[in-house]
Amino acid sequence: MAAAPSPLARRALAGLAAAAVVVPVTVLWQTSRLSAQYSVTEMGVVELGSGPRVPALADHGRHGGDHADSPGASLVTVDELVETRTGPADVAVTLTARSERVELAPGVDVDAFTVNGTTPGPTVRATQGDLVEVTFVNESVPDGATLHWHGMDVPNAADGVAGVTQDAVPVGGTFTYRFTAEDAGTYWYHSHQVSHEQVRRGLLGAVVVDPVPGAPEAGGPDVAELLRDAVDVTAVVHQFGPHRTVQGTPGETTVEVSPGQAARVRVVNTDNGAMPVWVSGAPFRLAAIDGTDVHGPQEVRDEAVVVTAGGRADLLVVAPDDGTAARVELGGSAAVVLGPPGATGEPTRRPATTLDPLTYGEPTPLGLDPDTPTRSFEYSIGRRPGFVDGRPGMHWTVNGRSYPDVPMFTVRTGDVVRMTIENRSGEAHPMHLHGHHVVVLARDGVAATGSPWWVDSLDVGQGESYEIAFVADNPGIWMDHCHNLPHATEGLLAHLMYAGVTTPYLMGSATGNEPE
Amino acid sequence: MRQVFRTLAYVIAAGVVVQAAVMVYAISGLGNFIDEGGVLDKAAREASMEGQAMFPEEVGFMLHFFNGAMIIPILAILLLIASFFAKIRGAWKWALAVLLLVALQITLGMSGVPFLGALHGVNALILFSVALYTGWRVAARSRSTRAAAAGVPTTPAEPLPS
Repeated sequence: MAAAPSPLARRALAGLAAAAVVVPVTVLWQTSRLSAQYSVTEMGVVELGSGPRVPALADHGRHGGDHADSPGASLVTVDELVETRTGPADVAVTLTARSERVELAPGVDVDAFTVNGTTPGPTVRATQGDLVEVTFVNESVPDGATLHWHGMDVPNAADGVAGVTQDAVPVGGTFTYRFTAEDAGTYWYHSHQVSHEQVRRGLLGAVVVDPVPGAPEAGGPDVAELLRDAVDVTAVVHQFGPHRTVQGTPGETTVEVSPGQAARVRVVNTDNGAMPVWVSGAPFRLAAIDGTDVHGPQEVRDEAVVVTAGGRADLLVVAPDDGTAARVELGGSAAVVLGPPGATGEPTRRPATTLDPLTYGEPTPLGLDPDTPTRSFEYSIGRRPGFVDGRPGMHWTVNGRSYPDVPMFTVRTGDVVRMTIENRSGEAHPMHLHGHHVVVLARDGVAATGSPWWVDSLDVGQGESYEIAFVADNPGIWMDHCHNLPHATEGLLAHLMYAGVTTPYLMGSATGNEPE
Repeated sequence: MRQVFRTLAYVIAAGVVVQAAVMVYAISGLGNFIDEGGVLDKAAREASMEGQAMFPEEVGFMLHFFNGAMIIPILAILLLIASFFAKIRGAWKWALAVLLLVALQITLGMSGVPFLGALHGVNALILFSVALYTGWRVAARSRSTRAAAAGVPTTPAEPLPS
């Protein structure tokens, strides 16, 4: 054995070994810290999805926003991507956000953010094709607030993402959202400023767009017949601590429906995790997912529908002929009870079978050709130890990197885009793309065979892989993030960026804009 | 530095004990919650993760996460650094073993694969034992060193220098 090293050499060796541990950790910590203000256009890794290059993007905000030296690159800002129709709106509403205490039930009150004094706020109701104008007023939400139109393909300027499409509306400020209600269906609005907190505390409400009278019914003649005199019920579900509320009320919500009459129950999951819903005492049809009508929905019984966080499911239920009530079970004691006055129904436990939208309904053409996409992207979710903005932890990664080095999926208007979303992170993620409807092509290699499964919020379970497609038909800068909103604050997000679009808005601690 | 090293090792072992305790505390609270008619689905669980507890014992889940994913890994890194200065033969190897077991423990715990979750429980016992031994052998060596200085024969049970 060699002679023992001198004390000095020993100490130097110990110092070096300690440095070998401390220095890399410090460097990782330091480099992970975000600047006090930054632009989404400077963020991440440009991905072109093996599609054509996009010259206008070459210096896309990456040289301090000076584009004068790039000939032919005419940039539009998100502010210019507004509703093109002018004139008075068909539907005009003012929505005022407030910080206040709300009584959910006698003796149960919570610190909430309300819209026009309640949570959820009023349902914004329009007919397909209507021009909608919403004047948003922030009366007393301290961090500022916005309204994002979840699931609606609004113009980018109306998307309501603080730091990307607008500045957060400060206390006393207002912002006007103008858009055409393009698609009939069930949608919702919520703040996209410090959204993990503001949504949790109830700064949200439903949007229901009715079809133009006489429009063909995607569900088919049976469904059209049922819908003719159906009762329309909006059920915004939100969890306040131990209380699962429906339209702000815990427990049962009773809706008067005559025996044999149908009810369309629009379930909106405003929480951060998936929620199974099922029907006791009657069969039902899943009439729509995320606002889009299911084509030819079969009647099912004893099956649960899993509503993705941020997603919607419209259930079509016929009240039993015997005068009892059908119950749409929303978990725990929360239920919508459908029947004649005084009728009750027996609650049931969650059915073991779960309805699979991959095979539900009748196929019909998609209206796009996913087999010859212009671009194909990967959105692979993982998790690993490290730092994000100086915080140590097990952080989410997208395509192997953590925030802010997340992908910037780059497209041109008209591209047909295919994306593989894969989850190897140990936990399910409800993935939400702004401003677009995406169609599910396959899950774990098994092709979809039912009605086209159009979504804006897709629950991707641990170990699952989804193939989706969409048409890039709404220019702008759009978030593509996990709607388990705390996950988004932890960096589980990416952006869909159209070539030639830029934004004057900044996010970061110095800007007051904190979208997640 | 020997004392720092020894204390860190013991605190890590104690941390593993806390992990086991808070987990069962929370699970038993969950059992009562369900027994009394409470229902847990992903939406409810995520709301409670955001600080809106459904039942008071739920704090156990949060402590388990905070202690396991933040406190213990930091202590394990400090243990490794302390080992370089502790002037104990083989200390760094044991400290590195502790750190690797911690890393493995987090990986197993967050894998989302139930079988690996079971190994998380097994690895907890291994980590506890290794951390405890890492601290104990410092004391044992100190005793044997003193004993040697005093001319007393050491016991054969003394851990071998590695």
